[in-house]
Amino acid sequence: MIELYRIWKQYQKPHWALSDVTLKIDPGDFCFITGPSGSGKTTLLKIIYREIFPTQGQIIIDKRNILRISDHKIYRLRREMGIVFQDFRLMFHKKVFDNVGVVLQVLGVPRKEIRRRVFNALRMVNLHHKMWEYPSYLSYGEQQRVAIARAVVNRPKIILADEPTGNLDPELAFEIMSLFKEINRQGATIIICTHDRELIRHFGQKIVFLYKGKLLRKETL
Amino acid sequence: MLAVFFLQKDISEPQQKAIEEELNKSPLVSKSRYVDSQMALERFKEKFTELQGIVKNLDTNPFPPSFEVTFKEKALSYDNVLSFIQKVKAMPGIEDVQFNQDWVDRMQSFSRLAKAVGFFLGGILILASFFIISNIIKINVYSRKNEIEILRLVGATNIFIKIPFLIEGVVLGIIGGMFSLLLLLFLIQIFPIYLGSSLGVLNELINFRYLSFSQSINIIMLGGLIGFLGSMSSLSRFLKT
Ligand SMILES: Nc1ncnc2c1ncn2[C@@H]1O[C@H](COP(=O)(O)OP(=O)(O)OP(=O)(O)O)[C@@H](O)[C@H]1O
Ligand SMILES: [Mg+2]
Repeated sequence: MIELYRIWKQYQKPHWALSDVTLKIDPGDFCFITGPSGSGKTTLLKIIYREIFPTQGQIIIDKRNILRISDHKIYRLRREMGIVFQDFRLMFHKKVFDNVGVVLQVLGVPRKEIRRRVFNALRMVNLHHKMWEYPSYLSYGEQQRVAIARAVVNRPKIILADEPTGNLDPELAFEIMSLFKEINRQGATIIICTHDRELIRHFGQKIVFLYKGKLLRKETL
Repeated sequence: MLAVFFLQKDISEPQQKAIEEELNKSPLVSKSRYVDSQMALERFKEKFTELQGIVKNLDTNPFPPSFEVTFKEKALSYDNVLSFIQKVKAMPGIEDVQFNQDWVDRMQSFSRLAKAVGFFLGGILILASFFIISNIIKINVYSRKNEIEILRLVGATNIFIKIPFLIEGVVLGIIGGMFSLLLLLFLIQIFPIYLGSSLGVLNELINFRYLSFSQSINIIMLGGLIGFLGSMSSLSRFLKT
């Protein structure tokens, strides 16, 4: 369970990137966050995985106040999450294999097991034939799928995906969403930021509308 | 350098032989001479003519027999000579030993000075390598900032992130240690040849020795330690979240 309670975030005065956002996401939810560019979607995600701290407010994830977790213990939270960053954040001097496998490496998973699971994850995003390439030789859409494979490779309890289909054609976007849906069916909580009305209409269960940092409305279909 | 070993009056023939042999077989000794009581007395009379009266009135000869030993200047390591003298002094039949304390003192203060200069320079070099290594690590941390960031976000512990940098620092330190050893070997080879004649008397005092195996290992390990500490200090400053 992810609970955000009266979250405010200000990067620079006088603008508020988020103002007074209160939100509860239940385990097993498949939740879309949508809203115009600059409305605070990425900011909200960053606060959830604690890349940044809110100016005010509290966040509770599975009974833990994550703002109180010390820096050297925050890895435990991150290990429960798979994150697709809006800017991918791939390691460009490492191969696709290592970019996906790093999630398992930090856990000390044996190399053979890593190979198996990385291959499977890449196959799910249709990219297993590029396993030994460097990300810089991949198209944007392919890089995005590497980022998605990395987010799902460890079967996390929570997936946070920031515009995960922004660079994909509609068919591929559909496939990726189906993948998330499948992982969701197996029990994971999924939070996806997107502009794509088509996808929301097709896959949406819980939809959160942000506008200029304010939570405009919540919809549950 | 000269040392005089005074023998006991009642020294036996085999004892004296043993001492003579010990002196002659040592590589440190250039020559040794036996001076019996009679010769010693004669020499005294010659040197201090005005005291002849005193000596004449003695009914016994007060001068003990002795060995006068000259040490090879070339082979001199002060410690070796001293321990050799101690060893001979402990042999049966030796009453006492006299040697030029002045010279010993000079040597001692010289070697103290050399040690102090050595420690000073060594300390400076250790500090320098510490800072160089910690700077290299700092540069590497910065150039891999992006990757470190990603590691954090996928749940790497601090130690997981630090280990490659620590290994790098240790390896750098060890390589530096080995390199400095090679340089030292080379210098020891070249230095006496290059400066030999101009060093003059110093050349006889300074003993160019290669480092022993365990000393070499220590230097390399010290290098590794410096590398480890250098990268530790760098990481603690530049790898904050
Ligand atoms: N690091 C930052 N420093 C200053 N301002 C920031 C920073 N990050 C975001 N902002 C501002 O906060 C607001 C919300 O940004 P955010 O990235 O959350 O929007 P978004 O909804 O993700 O937009 P998009 O759909 O374009 O990705 C924007 O006005 C943006 O300019
Ligand atoms: Mg965004």
